[in-house]
Amino acid sequence: MKLVKSITAAVAMGLGSSAMAADSVNVAFFLEWATPNLIAKADKVYSEAMGVDVNWTDFSTGVAMTEAMLAGDIDIAYSQGLAPFVTAIQQGAPLKMVGVAVVYEANDCFVRNGIGIDASNASELEGRTVAVPLNTMADFSFRKQMSALNVDISTMEIVDQAPPDGAASLADGSVDMACIFGGNSAKAAGEVGTPIMTADEKKAADIGSFDVVSVTESFATENPDLLKTFMEITEEANGAWIGSDAQLAMVAEGAGMTVDQTKNQLNGMSFPSASEQLEGYFGKDGTAASAAASLGLVFSDDSDGSAIAKTIDGSFLK
Amino acid sequence: MSDFFHWLSVNRATIAAFLIILLLITFVFSIVIGRRLSAIRDKDEVFGDPERTKGGWYWAVCGVSALLLIWFYFSWGSARAYFPKSANELCQVAKLHDAVSPINAALPSGSRYFKSTTLVARNSEQLRALRAGFPVAAFSAAEGTEVESLFDELHGLIGIYSDPDKQDPESNSKLASLVDEINGLSGRLRDGHSGYEPAPEAASQSAWGLTHIEIPLLPETARGALFDKVANDAQGVAKNFLKARNAPPAAVDAIADIRARIDVLAAGAAPEGADEAALKDRNNFIKSLDRIFKRLDDGTIFPAAALDGVDDAMAGLQQATQSAKGFGLRFVESGFMPGGSIIKSRTQCTEQGSGRWLPKPTDVVAKFGLLANPDLEAGGGFKGTPLFWWKWLPIADVVGFFTPDWIADVIPGEFGRHGPDGNFEPNLKDRVLAFAQGDVPMGHVPMFAGHIWDSLFRVLVALALGILLGVPLGIFMGVSRFFKSFFDPLIELYRPVPPLAWAPLILTIFGIQDDGKIFLLFMVAFAIMVISARTGASGTQLSKIRASHSLGASTGQILRNVILPNAMPEILTGIRIAIGVCWGTLVAAEMLAGTTGVGFVENVARTVSDYELIWVTILIMGLLGLMFDLFMRWVIDKSIPWRGKG
Repeated sequence: MKLVKSITAAVAMGLGSSAMAADSVNVAFFLEWATPNLIAKADKVYSEAMGVDVNWTDFSTGVAMTEAMLAGDIDIAYSQGLAPFVTAIQQGAPLKMVGVAVVYEANDCFVRNGIGIDASNASELEGRTVAVPLNTMADFSFRKQMSALNVDISTMEIVDQAPPDGAASLADGSVDMACIFGGNSAKAAGEVGTPIMTADEKKAADIGSFDVVSVTESFATENPDLLKTFMEITEEANGAWIGSDAQLAMVAEGAGMTVDQTKNQLNGMSFPSASEQLEGYFGKDGTAASAAASLGLVFSDDSDGSAIAKTIDGSFLK
Repeated sequence: MSDFFHWLSVNRATIAAFLIILLLITFVFSIVIGRRLSAIRDKDEVFGDPERTKGGWYWAVCGVSALLLIWFYFSWGSARAYFPKSANELCQVAKLHDAVSPINAALPSGSRYFKSTTLVARNSEQLRALRAGFPVAAFSAAEGTEVESLFDELHGLIGIYSDPDKQDPESNSKLASLVDEINGLSGRLRDGHSGYEPAPEAASQSAWGLTHIEIPLLPETARGALFDKVANDAQGVAKNFLKARNAPPAAVDAIADIRARIDVLAAGAAPEGADEAALKDRNNFIKSLDRIFKRLDDGTIFPAAALDGVDDAMAGLQQATQSAKGFGLRFVESGFMPGGSIIKSRTQCTEQGSGRWLPKPTDVVAKFGLLANPDLEAGGGFKGTPLFWWKWLPIADVVGFFTPDWIADVIPGEFGRHGPDGNFEPNLKDRVLAFAQGDVPMGHVPMFAGHIWDSLFRVLVALALGILLGVPLGIFMGVSRFFKSFFDPLIELYRPVPPLAWAPLILTIFGIQDDGKIFLLFMVAFAIMVISARTGASGTQLSKIRASHSLGASTGQILRNVILPNAMPEILTGIRIAIGVCWGTLVAAEMLAGTTGVGFVENVARTVSDYELIWVTILIMGLLGLMFDLFMRWVIDKSIPWRGKG
């Protein structure tokens, strides 16, 4: 009986210790992704307002952010891509979306110059070879654009390539189109190719991307006040953004890019305010749920849109 | 047939239960046999005799069954096999745990300290730090004294919150009613689950781990229903707890006073002569002060004594949870779910720990079955390619691949043009071009197809090229001064470079087709073959060569009949090593430009954290490598039976 008692005690401790008041908050973010809150990060506004240490860790992929959150090393992922978030939810990860971090133009698919294909005769892409980084936002954008242009992707040979490799293959002529994310790779692909759809065409076809703020369920239930403050500070930082040189310099330094690159990247990004998010994204029939559901359908046939909608919670924006 | 597979898939937990018993029996039985046979042989064997390693299949059986048993155990496969309902019940417990986690996070029973204690310590420390860094130059002397007294009042405010005598009666009664509510929950848990019914919709839920919903949420047992109901009500209790605020009358006055004083300070102007930096300091200081005050004014700090009741009630709830789980569930949780627990997310419950990243053996087999299904329409294969199947390969494609297009260009004459009647009559030049491009139908041959075949093909071609080029070169390097000295620096320079280092170049040089991947694997195989053939050739005993020489053998005969057989053991060992390393490099090679292949499947599976798929690919690669190795052992046994006996 003593053994049973000690086992139960150990189990009880195991359960108890998982609910801990946070004395530090761990946030995941991307380098080379210019967001105004990098200024707040540099000024330590977050830790001051939240009253706890805020540790920022940079990641290279959204999937890695999910893994770190599941391992308990990260509480908040700032600007995780929608694609890794949705695939995490489909795997049953206890995460939720509490805000929209960045809204940006959908990733471009570059058609190689000299093969004479543009949006008007896009169906000629059928039967050709395309480089796509599978299961990323660029993949999602590729599928959306092809369906908007009535191109049957089942006839294409799709090659799974990371953006830098895809850009190189486009330049070598071994692929006819490359779908790319990331500033440097997009620049390289732009040297030898042209986006199949312009920014306006993408907008007209309702193809856009956004990154989310995702948190672990346990952090949200145990420290709602901290999470709320985090969202408030982010909102303040976005609101204070006027694009002045001093601000640009700070963001560039925080993101690890040059000021010019930062400026270019920020041109294609917008940061919706809390009220805009509540209205457009997190309301009934909001974009957050519908985009997540349609993305889930793209990547997996057994996606249930209503299930993903349950993990979307705008209450921390209020 | 597919009905049978479906039946297998649905009953995988039961099948696992049988398998585990079978494995246990095999494990014990093989040890018994092994010990008995060892005892018999012990007397006539000497330690160190290579003959001792021959045979021993029972130890192989013992090892494999031990491995599978460990896999079943740590993947929670044994838990699912024998306690299929336990996950659903623990999911309901996780719901309760999840519901009360905001309360637990604020109490010592859950997180060592009261949240109030943490807040008091943290805010006092920050006030102290702010006070120490007061920018004197940015404020007038009068303001300085004002700030000093503000700090005192803020510390005083923390004191008011922490004083049980000053606590407002309303919050006290609220906490008392919270204690009652929590005790009520505990009472219901202690009363047991008799009278509870599982939700009727739960009957139609899929079982544990059958679909992409790992553990469905609705309770399937009476005990689960009890926890579900209690968890539901606990959510309300937790909400009330989070809403509870301490608002002593003294604190309300102090807050109004401090608010007004900070506002006055913020509205005031900096002293004459303050520079821009001082102005900035002043603003930052007031902002920081305001931030700390804002954290204090919402009344989240309670006297420690006031929360003792809640803490005791929560400890009681914890005990009640354990007793309501019953011995059975506690036993399953601690004994059969090693390295983790079941946690609740929004849409389902999931396994955490080794249960998450180590899928159950039966699930991996089921996933393999799904992939191995060659019927792509029925959802088989992966990304439009079957795992291992066959197809009709047009002969023209092969011919087209080997015939260069410029053959048509060198034929005299012009390519044909379409005539005025709208017809196109191809001439000889056009026909040759069509032939070179593989457009002339020449019938079909059956050919393997699929991810495994594509990977196998790449490895085999690379290996064959490595052997064909590497072995002669190695042997010549072993016997010729010119070959040794000429090629040695080249080979030794590139050999230590890890294959992955070539990867970025491969894409640019070869493009995305198979040739680049094959080249990468060839680089690996080639170096190994050269080294092993050379070692084998240079290790030939001089007496054998001299003997054959004096018997009148020519150079070619010596090479073929003396040196090559002597190098054979080294070469065959080299092939064995090369196969292993080629498989190791395959994933990286297929990452460059993935279209098909086992490595490609793993790379895509990684992007969606599909652990079952990842393990399927790992096992496929392991098993194929093992098959190769067994084949090579057989070849070694047959072709060089003299090995180790010289």
